[in-house]
Amino acid sequence: MQIFPFFLKGLWMTVLISGASLILGTLLGFLLGMLRSRKNRLVNPLIGFFVDVMRGTPFIVQVFIVFFIFPEFGIQLEAFTAAVLAMTIMGSAFICEIVTAGILAVPKGQWEASSSSGLNILQQLRFVILPQAMKTILPPLVGQYVLLIKDSSVVSAIGVVELTRVGWLTVVRIPEGLMVFSLVGALYFAISYPLIRISNSLERKLTVNRVSL
Amino acid sequence: MIKFKNVNKWFGSLHVLNDINLQVSAGEVVVVCGPSGSGKSTLIRCINRLERIQKGELFVDGMPLHDSTINLTKLRAEIGFVFQQFHLYPHLSVLENVTLAPIHVRKMKKKEAEALAMEKLERVGLADKATAHPEQLSGGQQQRVAIARGLAMSPKILLFDEPTSALDPEMIGEVLAVMVKLAQEGMTMCVVTHEMGFARQVAHRVIFMDEGKIIETGKPDQFFDNPQSDRAAMFISKILKH
Ligand SMILES: Nc1ncnc2c1ncn2[C@@H]1O[C@H](COP(=O)(O)OP(=O)(O)OP(=O)(O)O)[C@@H](O)[C@H]1O
Ligand SMILES: [Mg+2]
Repeated sequence: MQIFPFFLKGLWMTVLISGASLILGTLLGFLLGMLRSRKNRLVNPLIGFFVDVMRGTPFIVQVFIVFFIFPEFGIQLEAFTAAVLAMTIMGSAFICEIVTAGILAVPKGQWEASSSSGLNILQQLRFVILPQAMKTILPPLVGQYVLLIKDSSVVSAIGVVELTRVGWLTVVRIPEGLMVFSLVGALYFAISYPLIRISNSLERKLTVNRVSL
Repeated sequence: MIKFKNVNKWFGSLHVLNDINLQVSAGEVVVVCGPSGSGKSTLIRCINRLERIQKGELFVDGMPLHDSTINLTKLRAEIGFVFQQFHLYPHLSVLENVTLAPIHVRKMKKKEAEALAMEKLERVGLADKATAHPEQLSGGQQQRVAIARGLAMSPKILLFDEPTSALDPEMIGEVLAVMVKLAQEGMTMCVVTHEMGFARQVAHRVIFMDEGKIIETGKPDQFFDNPQSDRAAMFISKILKH
């Protein structure tokens, strides 16, 4: 078997799983974050509990639950789907917290001014609150993406042939273990590094902006 | 236009509004004054339901605000609110600050809303700042933009909560001048302020509050020159010293 094309396939799978769950997790996370920032007495504790459970359990256990336990309730998922689902749910919990913090950092007067002029809640969020909250949200959000991409290596445990799994499968066949996992690491780094740079520069730009205000 | 009937409100155990009865007719300019913590802000924030009343009845433009089923956004679209701290939208230009609600609440076309906004900016003397961002403006200019933002919704009532208290002294005049003009044009206004000059010039009535109650109501000259209660007299002598 050709090693290099095999690695590229693994890399592609990692990008696919991460990309799909980043997008879905971001959508779900923003939705949950917006709901949570309303501080509703019924909804808020529910979302809070969900977030705590997601943060307080190992990701690999969450993946196992989706892949091995869901079928017992009649939800049979392929490894790929289970992986994307587990990552989406976990990601949404972390993103929810980032979004909530960002929204709450927008001064209360912005809500009061926009509601006073007759905007409804969705219009307030879309035109007034979120554009300002993005300054607080973006740097940790991109940082969260990096963590999620690295966490995607966990789904190798349920047999998804992504980058880490490719490393395992290769290393049992050829003796150069160090070379194999260096390559795996380098490929993860190649995806993460640009995001790390983006996150850092956003942080710098947005904080400088805030000081000058 | 506005009618408070035995209105009460508490923050926890603090009785902030104590049996308020007050009526404001269309075209009337009412100034509310009183010591810090007396409930002035709470009173006018109830009028567009930034705060909810807990007992009594409050009608604004025919809508019963004590009824929780009313259409809040519709009510608020008809009432402008000018804050002490301006609260302009910092991520938008001056023009966008003024057109936002006309476009999304009144469903105006962008061009139409911009023409309207320019007209309102002209009125507050800031047409040349349309493309600026709020942080590039002085406090007085920001407050005038905030007034233009309120005017762009053609409100039936304008509420002001200490509109000049956050301003440097040399900028107070330019904001008051705009407010005087509005008052003279017949706008219905409730203004929390300690600016006696403004009150004497345009207010039809001054309302003095203390500890959540309306202590005294009167014509401005009568109230300032000849207050009926000791508390009002003491308050007036204090603001005169400034
Ligand atoms: N959201 C709130 N929660 C609890 N207490 C509040 C709240 N808002 C105001 N209060 C209290 O209610 C009282 C009346 O407040 P209010 O802001 O209406 O007074 P004010 O007359 O506007 O005073 P100032 O001149 O300082 O603006 C004060 O004692 C204040 O501390
Ligand atoms: Mg106040």
